[in-house]
Amino acid sequence: MTDTSAIAPGLKKSVLLKIRDLKIDGYTGETWVPIIKGVDLTLHRGEVMGLIGESGAGKSTIGAAAMGYARDGTRINPGSSIEFDGIELTTSTEADKRALRGSRIAYVAQSAAASFNPSHKLIDQHTEAPVHYRIKKRMEAQEDAIELYERLRLPNPGEIGFRYPHQVSGGQLQRAMTAMAMSCRPDLIIFDEPTTALDVTTQIEVLAAIRDIVDQFNTAAIYITHDLAVVAQMADTIKVLLKGEEVEQQSTEKMLASPKEEYTKSLWAVRSFERPQKARPKDATPLISVKNIDASYTGGEKVLDDVSFDIYPGMTVAVVGESGSGKSTTARVITGLLPPSKGEVLFKGEPLPPKYTDRSKDQLRQAQMIYQMADTALNPKVRISEIIGRPAQFYSGLKGTALKSRVDELLDLIELEPSKYYDRFPPELSGGQKQRIGIARALAAEPTFIICDEVTSALDQLVAEGILKLLDRLQSELDLAYMFITHDLATVRAIADEVVVMQHGKVVEQGPKEEMFTPPHHPYTDLLLSSVPEMDPNWLTTLLEERGVDNVGEAADV
Amino acid sequence: MGLFVILYFAFLIIASCLAAFYEKRSVFLMIFSLTMVSFVLGIVGGAGALRFVAITAAVLAFAAGISYAFKEFLIAIAPRNAAKELKTAPLTAAFGMFVIFTYAIAGIFAPWIAPHGESEVISSAFAPADANMLLGADQLGRDMFSRIIYGARNTVGLALLATLAAFFMGALAGLLAAVKGGWFDQFMGRFADVIMSIPSLIFALLMLSIFGPQIIVIICAVAIIYAPRVFRLTRAVAGNVVVMDYIEAAKLRGEGDWYLIRREILPNSTAPLVAEFGLEFCFVFLLVAGLSFLGLGIQPPTADWGSMVRENATLISFGDITPLIPAAAIALLTVAVNFVVDWMLWRSSGLKEM
Amino acid sequence: MGDIASLVAKRLGLGLLTLLVISVIIFFMVELLPGDIAQAVLGQGATEENVAALRERMGLNDPAPVRYFQWLGGALTGNFGESIVTGERVSSIISERFINTLFLAAYAAVIAVPFAIVLGIVVALLRNTLFDRVANVLTLTSISSPEFFLGYILILYLAVKTSMFPAIASLSGDMSFGELLHRTFLPALTLVLVVTAHMMRMTRAAIINLLASPYIEMARLKGTPPWKVIVKHALPNAWAPIINVVALNLAYLITGVVLVEVVFVYPGIGQSLVDAVSKRDFPVVQACCLIFAATFILLNLAADVGAILTNPRLRHPK
Repeated sequence: MTDTSAIAPGLKKSVLLKIRDLKIDGYTGETWVPIIKGVDLTLHRGEVMGLIGESGAGKSTIGAAAMGYARDGTRINPGSSIEFDGIELTTSTEADKRALRGSRIAYVAQSAAASFNPSHKLIDQHTEAPVHYRIKKRMEAQEDAIELYERLRLPNPGEIGFRYPHQVSGGQLQRAMTAMAMSCRPDLIIFDEPTTALDVTTQIEVLAAIRDIVDQFNTAAIYITHDLAVVAQMADTIKVLLKGEEVEQQSTEKMLASPKEEYTKSLWAVRSFERPQKARPKDATPLISVKNIDASYTGGEKVLDDVSFDIYPGMTVAVVGESGSGKSTTARVITGLLPPSKGEVLFKGEPLPPKYTDRSKDQLRQAQMIYQMADTALNPKVRISEIIGRPAQFYSGLKGTALKSRVDELLDLIELEPSKYYDRFPPELSGGQKQRIGIARALAAEPTFIICDEVTSALDQLVAEGILKLLDRLQSELDLAYMFITHDLATVRAIADEVVVMQHGKVVEQGPKEEMFTPPHHPYTDLLLSSVPEMDPNWLTTLLEERGVDNVGEAADV
Repeated sequence: MGLFVILYFAFLIIASCLAAFYEKRSVFLMIFSLTMVSFVLGIVGGAGALRFVAITAAVLAFAAGISYAFKEFLIAIAPRNAAKELKTAPLTAAFGMFVIFTYAIAGIFAPWIAPHGESEVISSAFAPADANMLLGADQLGRDMFSRIIYGARNTVGLALLATLAAFFMGALAGLLAAVKGGWFDQFMGRFADVIMSIPSLIFALLMLSIFGPQIIVIICAVAIIYAPRVFRLTRAVAGNVVVMDYIEAAKLRGEGDWYLIRREILPNSTAPLVAEFGLEFCFVFLLVAGLSFLGLGIQPPTADWGSMVRENATLISFGDITPLIPAAAIALLTVAVNFVVDWMLWRSSGLKEM
Repeated sequence: MGDIASLVAKRLGLGLLTLLVISVIIFFMVELLPGDIAQAVLGQGATEENVAALRERMGLNDPAPVRYFQWLGGALTGNFGESIVTGERVSSIISERFINTLFLAAYAAVIAVPFAIVLGIVVALLRNTLFDRVANVLTLTSISSPEFFLGYILILYLAVKTSMFPAIASLSGDMSFGELLHRTFLPALTLVLVVTAHMMRMTRAAIINLLASPYIEMARLKGTPPWKVIVKHALPNAWAPIINVVALNLAYLITGVVLVEVVFVYPGIGQSLVDAVSKRDFPVVQACCLIFAATFILLNLAADVGAILTNPRLRHPK
């Protein structure tokens, strides 16, 4: 099994992993509830299967079960069968299962930074399994590791393994972990959302490296992700899961071209919403004008460097960039949470006091925020009626029945039945409903300007679409201006009028949406745009050909 | 020895067979290993050792029984939401609640329960127990039982007052520091560090030596010593809440600090704060008891458990357990509170993982 | 390595500063005494000459800051002034007793530390089993019992009823080491019981916390056998929390020792402190407090430095 050339092409058809009627229960602190409700899975040698689904679909649990492993607080039901290469994992002893792990089935975790032991060098962790299984001698295993690092296009392959995990960047760690999974040339690798924590430009190199190495050694893989476009690049077959049950399974091409089930179609359809672009009104003063802002957190380096842009009434400006680009910091400067070290923010031509504590009630009322995580944006111990009612009471002094009818009106506006939601608490609502309550709270202040901080990125795609449509409707009804902070270009395409691209605290490029999405671009905008995975299964191949395989790693450092 | 030993082993063996038959693996392992240990114990320590084991087991069974009954009683009388919570309580927590309940009754109704006054001399020094005096007399001939009952009121009352004072100061400072941040937060944090780097008992002794052993000094000393601990915890709990977006939203709305504390932070920190209150009470109670034991707590003739241990300590050398009774009263209450706190902490941590 | 050195230096500096602040608190607290110290010591009935003489002897006529620096300077060279009650030098009263106290604490620590850490790890590995629950109840009971309760129970059963060990730990200079260990066994055992329980619980929590890390799951999924997961993956990262637990509990020993010394009439510094407090012998109280506080701070300091030195992120900077 260590010699890859021994795998004849005919073997590719033979079944490697056969899961039948898999049922897994999770412990809630009081009772066991089913989280996987009877899933079948068949994986052939050399096949890559994508498991896709929303959060809570149970993809990760199935991935662990494929190794015969049940995480703390879960248990595999007795009726289930997991057969790996003829070995029944549900009935074999712990020692037998352990002997498979690392040698024949390997695992690549979501957060490489947390999954490498901080106390040992990368290469020592790499060689642990091959040395333990006596597949290779220590020195041999080290040489092999260096070769794998080279194949995965890690910089300085001869040296990088002798570093500690915290001395290596996230994208490189993820590749080092893939190399570690390969160390015994396993028959099957489980990839558990390996690129979710990475930025789009870093994601590309990791995806390319993973795909190459899996191809080279003809390893079978289960690739778990929630990102359709990513799985389209990686997988031969795709299995769609919903709440612990299978929806459908097809080869990747078929699945993309003609999904059968309604649910799958809805996943594919969500990127269809697009709104016509609006132009700036003539000779109007900008509602919000950010002028030459520099900012830094106490004692730290500059996080914003000479940032300027305008937002006109009734328009949507999308601020795009990767994590650390300063887009959220810009929002903090506008709201007054972080006073800038240089420059000013104008509201209808008048400068706003830099600190929110110095702003008047009316100034505070004008600019509202909607947050990414509805869970942390709504106080779980406060009733919906008070969450929405408080701003109305605070700014407009409404009381009694006037307040109640205002809350009802707002709930109507966000398409939630007032009588049903009035007295409930946030934890009783779904993610999309919570986000709607967050919108209602912002509207209750009767603002002219709303900052939307990644409002859809924590939501499942269909729900996100609903939120975007709602925001669009509210904008035209109430003449609101939006500043839309996002890293997701699909969202930008859907809702923006103007786009501001940020990198390392600077504005790289800005202009109307249509201009931004047509070349020529600034090199960084180009990199950002081209790095966003597309649904086309050949996208990654084409892109790598365009960029040149060897340039992928460096391309991220423009 | 004869009959007792035969009955003892017969019971154990039948019980382990039953456990094995009904496939209660852990119960079987426990009972059978106890049987094996008993063989050794019986050989080394004779029937006395076995009798001790049997009595311990009986006491445990009795405690378990009463805890179970008390838990069912609470579930029966509690409103539905609270009853659901109570159902998750382990027997230890139920036992803790039962003990706390008993102490509360004893403390509140002390004058009616106690047969004699707390400083009433009714007999000769160290008189043995009789029908009139359940536990005998102390070194001045006062009724031990009555003094224990009054002690529940005095000792626990003092500890409770001191804990409340420490908790009020610490929690308020912690909440304010979390909301205000900046130099106030920094300064309070440093200040708490300094106070906490003096061992608590030592600090209390220093203050008592200067201001003398009076009730008010004890309360102040305990408040000063324990407020920093409460401050730290409250600051940490509130710190986790303050970073939430809903706090930012309320701040940006222009809400004042007091609104933030009252409406936004407190509702989200009550569970850990209540658990912390229980924990602090244990520390304070042990400290106050320790001070009394050293003769620096509540002054005679007021009945107080710590000083009762000290006053009757000489009896120990005659093999009399009288001085252990007030000490056991202290230990029992602390254990009880700890059991309840342990359950509450387990619940809140269990909920966090979900 | 520069990072580590500067971090350690910073922590040491902070420790010294804390110690200084505490010396200020200990000294000036006495100044807070309502009225005159000499008057308070001698009581209301004292004649004016006596009060004046005592003021002279205690140097109370100098301004407080001057006296503070004299006191601090003396304390650094081991001179804590004279006892008000007996007129003896404070250092001669407490120096021998301090050694006795250290001996008792060390005796308890040598038994408790390895015992508690091993048990703590075992309990963490067997978490949620019957053994774990029983251990939980027992340790909770132990930390909930006042030291004097445990002490008297041990006296009752091991000294009075079976006379295996002496109830009173009297020491004399010509005892053999074995005899010394025998005589001080009960006070040491009392401390061991309390400290072991604390330490076990904290070790258990630290290890369980560690075992939940993703890299431990990764090690398991690599097929590493359980003992190797513990030895190779958990232990190297467990040093910092374990050092912390040990230091915290040794610091706890210091407080516990006062009560235990009183129970067993052990000639240690805790006894002197309690005696001095009831006699309001301020120089002795101040000296004892300073010594206890300094030991406490030094232990915490050692724990923090240990945690810094074992942190792989700091040992191998970028």
